[in-house]
Amino acid sequence: MTEKSWMYAVLEAVQAEMRADPAMTWIFELTPPVASTPGRPVINLETEFGRKRVVNTGIDEMWMVGAVTGAGLSGSRAATYIPYQGIGMTFQMLQNHAGKLRHMTGGKASIPVVYVMEFTGQTPGFAGQHSDYEMDTAFAHLVGIRTVVPSTPYDAKGMMHAALRSPDPVVFIYPAGLRMLMEDVPDEPYEVPLDKAAVRTEGSDITIVSSGPGMQISLEAAQRLQAEGAGVEVIDLRVLKEMDSATFINSVAKTKRLLTVDMSYYTLCPGAEVIARTAENVDGARYKRIAFPDAPPPASPEMFLWMRPDANHVFDAARRLIG
Amino acid sequence: MGYERDDIGSDAGFRALNTTSRRGFLRIAGLAGVSLSLVSAAAQAEAEIGFWAKDLSNEKLVDMFRTILRIRWHERTMADKMLSDPDYRGYNHFCAGQEAVAAGCCAALRNSGPYDQIDLVFSTHRPTGHAIAKGVDMKLMCAENDFRATGLNGGYGAEMHLSDPSVGFVGADGMVGPGPVLATGAAFAIRARESDQVAVFFGGDGTYATPHFHSALNNARLLGLPFIYVLENNLYHQYAHYSFSCPHTDIAEAARAYGIPARVVDGQDVFQTYNAMHEAVDRARAGNGPSFIEAKTYRYYNHWGAPGATAGELGAFGYDPLAISSFRPEREVRAWMQRDPVNIARATLINWGVLDAGQAEALETEVRAEVDAAFAWAAEQPLCNPEDGLMHVYAEGRAIARQFG
Repeated sequence: MTEKSWMYAVLEAVQAEMRADPAMTWIFELTPPVASTPGRPVINLETEFGRKRVVNTGIDEMWMVGAVTGAGLSGSRAATYIPYQGIGMTFQMLQNHAGKLRHMTGGKASIPVVYVMEFTGQTPGFAGQHSDYEMDTAFAHLVGIRTVVPSTPYDAKGMMHAALRSPDPVVFIYPAGLRMLMEDVPDEPYEVPLDKAAVRTEGSDITIVSSGPGMQISLEAAQRLQAEGAGVEVIDLRVLKEMDSATFINSVAKTKRLLTVDMSYYTLCPGAEVIARTAENVDGARYKRIAFPDAPPPASPEMFLWMRPDANHVFDAARRLIG
Repeated sequence: MGYERDDIGSDAGFRALNTTSRRGFLRIAGLAGVSLSLVSAAAQAEAEIGFWAKDLSNEKLVDMFRTILRIRWHERTMADKMLSDPDYRGYNHFCAGQEAVAAGCCAALRNSGPYDQIDLVFSTHRPTGHAIAKGVDMKLMCAENDFRATGLNGGYGAEMHLSDPSVGFVGADGMVGPGPVLATGAAFAIRARESDQVAVFFGGDGTYATPHFHSALNNARLLGLPFIYVLENNLYHQYAHYSFSCPHTDIAEAARAYGIPARVVDGQDVFQTYNAMHEAVDRARAGNGPSFIEAKTYRYYNHWGAPGATAGELGAFGYDPLAISSFRPEREVRAWMQRDPVNIARATLINWGVLDAGQAEALETEVRAEVDAAFAWAAEQPLCNPEDGLMHVYAEGRAIARQFG
């Protein structure tokens, strides 16, 4: 057990899987698969496994995603790391190929591949293209692809092991805003399931459902609400597809109040799906969702920070909902 | 084929090259014998296309030098502010070292007039040099880069999204890839409406690997579009040498494979970039289709820089701390700095008798004052109104605030 960052934890899982499976490959551009943490050896997949298995390619995300998909079809496990610049370029390969081939081939095709998608940290100043957090819904909408978004280093490592061992293609969202988050993570391999949400705090007055980069502000708000005596159940979705509905439906059946928190745009954000599924199964509940407005993130920190959901927004909205 | 930088990789070589100009040759013909012997035939062939730069008016030549100085001092001033001014917030993808590409190429374009008549430039995430060379107001750009409400784009875009259609600067783009495709679309429209405009894309060596590079060239050639691809090969895409992403030494070879006339020029020499661009613009306006120019150049600073940096720490801004795959050797940086575009332009103009050393110095003093004034004006500008972030999503109306639940 050592304190590790999100990325160190992930690369530790990748390193272990690549050591165990000499056929496994990793493709990256711009972002070298390197991570360090105090008290543990530096991980550098490129130097450890060599450039035949770990490829630094040009700026061509379509190829990166298509190539690991093809590697999967050839019988090898493979993973790629798509920096935030290029996740949109991956879409056709995922939407029309990786997600459909197993079904279209009557179960004959298998794509044991992981696509790490870096989502930016919604950093003030970088404007529309470099500070959005907007594609979680888009990936979750695709069929045949599992989409996960771990919010802690512990989950990230366990879900990476599970994703790499899964016979299905997995979109593994890396909310880069969590890059500074550290926690104790076991050094040995372990799995966190790809189909289970996590209940982070238990309570009976309100359910707050979030994921990935929304978790920190949700937990901070919950702490303040609890200090005021409110019972808050915070649920970390962890998995956008296949979404674990039972966990939040059972919770709202108890609390009758549901607040969803998303850093992505309001329309069709994951919270919209959460609310819809809950409404189909729970009578008499009240709902509210927090999300980024349906506008690109502007460069100006004054504009951007006003628009980005924060812990105060969550706290205030939850209070209003509790009434 | 083409120019090889190693042939003239020294100051002496460059001076020799410059002395072969018409003006300089006449002036120092009696001394030139030794120098001439240093010039490689290949270098001369690519540099001397049509002799256009040498035939420009003194005023135009000085303007090109002034543009280089304005870009350089904008870069240096911004870097200094990042290191020294705690109130400064702008970041930059530095282009110091690459000024002669923007300055020479844009000098061959039509930069003022109605929007349907001026030439259109599509730029990159490293746009400030192109913006200045195309005629973007430096004050407004400085304010935009510092997220001010009265900045060029109202604080919505900042450095990677600078845009000023009034001078034909369609805009910067933070993504590597889409730019040339968008520019060929503009060229397609230009041809369809029978305008004599040209559409220019500036891109780096990193663009070669993108599917867009190949799509843009293929379609530009198939349709014979008035499109010019200026590839600034500064050897590195972010932190990786271009040999990681391109098998060609000269990326121009790829353009030739698509049937597009291509030149490889010394991107440190503004007169070479001007000549190549002049030829390409003539071709496009005459309806003879696209051109490709590969300018060999170099950025002196990191991939990018941000405020709060400390000189000498984490490479600010000398080396790339994230360059794990391929560091830039310091000797490489130093070698390129010996072939500085400011020095080359200055020496050439002095050699041609356009300026003397005193006049060159006075010009630089004037430019520095202008740049200082632009940054000072920007620092006085108001910050943005938070709620205005909901504007400009569509032509009309505002988005609804959703962050409050």
